[in-house]
Amino acid sequence: MPSSARKNGLLRLLAVGMTLLMVSSCAVRTDQMARDPGLVRIAVNGWVGYEASAEVLAYVLEEEMGYDTQLMRVDEQPSWQALDQGAIDVILENWGHEDLYELYGPEGNDTVVDGGSTGNEGVIGWYMPAYLAEENPELLDHEGLRENTDLFRTAETGDSGEFLAGAPGFVSQDQGMINAFDMDLEIVYAGTEAAQMTEVRSRYANEEPVLFYSNKPHWIHEQLDLVKVDFPDHYDGCDADLEYIDCDYPVYDLNKIFRSGFVEEDDHAYRFLDNWEWTNAQQNEVAGMIADEGMDPTEAAEVWVDENPDVWREWLPEGYEQRVR
Amino acid sequence: MTQPARTPSGAATGDGEGVWRRSWFQALVVLAVLVAGYWVSRTAGHPSWAGGFPTGIGDSFMAWLDGIYAWIVQNRNDSPLFLYFFNYVSVGLGSAVVLINQALDALTWVGVTALGVLSAWRAAGWRVALLVLATFGVFALTGLWNASMTTLALIITSVFIALLFGLPLGILAGRSERFHRRLRPALDFMQIMPAFAYLLPFVLLFGIGNPAAAVITAVYALPPVVRITALALREVDRGAIEATTSLGSTPWQVLTKVQLPLAKRTILLGINQTIMLAVSMVVIASVIGAGGLGDAIFQALSKVNVGQAFQAGLAIVMLAIAMDRVTGAVGNGAHTPRVPERLRLPVLGGGLLAVLATVVIGRSFDLGGWPRNWAVDIAAPVNAVNDAIESAVGGATSAMGTWTLEWVLAPLSQVLTGSPWWLVVLVAAALGWIFGGVRVAVLSAGSFVLVGLLGVWDNAMDTLSQVLVASLLTLALGVVLGVLMSRNDVFATILRPVLDAMQTLPPFVYLIPAVALFGIGRVPALAAAVIFALPPVIRLVNDGIRGVPAGAVEAADSQGSTKWQMLTKVQLPLARGSLLLAVNQGIILVLSMVVMGALVGAGSLGFDVVFGLAQNQLGLGLASGLAIVGLGLFLDRLTQGRRASHA
Repeated sequence: MPSSARKNGLLRLLAVGMTLLMVSSCAVRTDQMARDPGLVRIAVNGWVGYEASAEVLAYVLEEEMGYDTQLMRVDEQPSWQALDQGAIDVILENWGHEDLYELYGPEGNDTVVDGGSTGNEGVIGWYMPAYLAEENPELLDHEGLRENTDLFRTAETGDSGEFLAGAPGFVSQDQGMINAFDMDLEIVYAGTEAAQMTEVRSRYANEEPVLFYSNKPHWIHEQLDLVKVDFPDHYDGCDADLEYIDCDYPVYDLNKIFRSGFVEEDDHAYRFLDNWEWTNAQQNEVAGMIADEGMDPTEAAEVWVDENPDVWREWLPEGYEQRVR
Repeated sequence: MTQPARTPSGAATGDGEGVWRRSWFQALVVLAVLVAGYWVSRTAGHPSWAGGFPTGIGDSFMAWLDGIYAWIVQNRNDSPLFLYFFNYVSVGLGSAVVLINQALDALTWVGVTALGVLSAWRAAGWRVALLVLATFGVFALTGLWNASMTTLALIITSVFIALLFGLPLGILAGRSERFHRRLRPALDFMQIMPAFAYLLPFVLLFGIGNPAAAVITAVYALPPVVRITALALREVDRGAIEATTSLGSTPWQVLTKVQLPLAKRTILLGINQTIMLAVSMVVIASVIGAGGLGDAIFQALSKVNVGQAFQAGLAIVMLAIAMDRVTGAVGNGAHTPRVPERLRLPVLGGGLLAVLATVVIGRSFDLGGWPRNWAVDIAAPVNAVNDAIESAVGGATSAMGTWTLEWVLAPLSQVLTGSPWWLVVLVAAALGWIFGGVRVAVLSAGSFVLVGLLGVWDNAMDTLSQVLVASLLTLALGVVLGVLMSRNDVFATILRPVLDAMQTLPPFVYLIPAVALFGIGRVPALAAAVIFALPPVIRLVNDGIRGVPAGAVEAADSQGSTKWQMLTKVQLPLARGSLLLAVNQGIILVLSMVVMGALVGAGSLGFDVVFGLAQNQLGLGLASGLAIVGLGLFLDRLTQGRRASHA
């Protein structure tokens, strides 16, 4: 429906201009920025699973419900800030971040609202290629790994083994785990997930050893055969001291975070996103098309939406048709 | 300095200038002292008096910044400072970008193309108009039309702000020497501070997304227009000013009737530079949610799709080149079509009508952005080429990388981080004294102490080691290629467009292939920095040698000099000014890649800047950014040559 939206382009320009005029006469809060009422602004954090969710939802919002969408690509922490400032409406896939919820949630600034589960489950952990684990099965356990860190030595880390960390914006407790389990490992910060994945892929191609931070769902697991290292399960409070963490990462129940104002408006768009819930397999289907087959994300969303109307029709709120012009 | 010494070390030469007085020899002695200091400290087991800089002050500085951060987050919508100032700017700018973007959208793609091509023709002639057409063609065919329009809207907004502040500042600086002197350090600071380091403070003050992106881009693009406007006003003929003043003109009249018109061309050059910087900055601004072409690059890279990133990079290169040629042509006025005075209004009216007509046609056919399925895919072939290169030379390059790491980078980093901090400060001061005199010595020592006080000494020394190696490599390659370019016109013609593209292609695009070739860590960062810093060095060396007076070359030729003698005895010494500038520019550009390098595993200061941004740690991010400025000040002053000689 982008064409019908365009006809009203000039009208909208006027509406936006009017808001701007009204705003410029008094004290200004950041959430008063000129904004199209028919525009839903979705944060997109830098991994493909998230992108899959965002593209599918954006596609339904645009094509079925007559909204415009804006996908804003930012890191996790800044996207919370963006919610707080009113620059976006929703974070679709949040991994933990209890500290931020305290700061911006009802107990703090009261600018964000927990929107409940997305239905996806997130796992973070230490991974290595399957061929490596087949040759050295003891590596799969943290005790066996400790004895064999020299396998992962590289020119960059010298006498210690190398642990490739994820993107700087990601949730991480690797140094705490290295300390607690007494591993002779040095973290190499790739700086971007792209660089980390490039390195993992090229070592995999040469069948070299590599130990790295990764998460599931993630497209890399569709391309390469990777296995996770076993650590004692996460328990309450084991990650209190960031310098000493004697447990694995927790399993995350991924949830949505809404901007409070967006919830208060109680628009069809909000109700739709609130209803949305899907499985890891469904997300992986779309993410696989994007990352593995190199499909344009919007096209991937279109394919999935065309094939699964019975799934997403469930998410549509009552009376949404009235919005469609 | 460029002349090789012919005397054995220690022996004095006949002309009274002993080897002890040559700066390169003095510098070697100073470096030998540093290495000796490192060995002493190492054999003594790194005692505390000979370790890194104490971090106490730096830690409390970072904590203080983090406190400010927390305060702003909690009070953004309560404090009057924000309610009545920052939020105004934020909402105003954010809305401006949205409005411009909507306006471009309302024109439809045919309308935008018609407007762009016609105004390019009117301003810069038909050649440039064709280039503009090609640029819009690339936007459309790569399927990046909408992203390009978003980027264009952001560039228009931020260039407007940069000029709004930059031109008046430049005029003031051009008319008042005192104001100029006060402004200069601020401009230097703005140019050396890595863009990534001030993303977070601006996000905090102006709000994430377009507002902060517009302000940051404007700040980044501001210095050239101020500097060049000031320079242009100064260069206006004194006689012309005195003549007008004696006729009783007011200062305002002198400015508007004499100085500005006469300085117009140079000022336009400044505007051109400002636009170029804005184009390169909008790519980085996508890190804070600005969207557009930069976003398209990041999106492609997050899937390690080099081809797709290259496509978006190509769109940016085209945008930059088109904007450069348009503003450049306006500046020198050479190709502007000569329209007689009486036809000017009709031509303008006709052009407007034509644009209006295309917009009406566009809108009636319901065209908006370019349809996605009309795109041409060049990502796949680029990926194929990339993979082929990787499998062909990957083994050799990674072996080279390992060698560089083990024999050059790691030892140098160890010497710098492992030496007592006060010795490093003294060495910096001594080098400053040797190459620049007392003032530079004080400044060098001062900037190292500043780096230490920021609490990031160890990281800074590691970064310094990487910067030094990258700079040396850049200069070595740059001089060789520059010399070749100056001697062979065919090579020069081939190289020029390559250099253009290298300078405008966003570094993100070649970061990932660098990882594939060299493996993650400091080496790919080194490679990317060299690629980024090389073009200006090559150009300056080439210009310098070609600028050597023909008479000098002929004289040497008639005395039977060999080509090598000609180069080392005549051309290079006579091009000394350009060479020194090349050294300076090369180092500053390498330094500006420190943060980019951290994106592929270079670690140290750059990583802390990125980490601070991603994890909202203002203290760490800003302190590391300031430390990069400290290193930059040292390297910049050290290589600006001897202004006040001590000898």
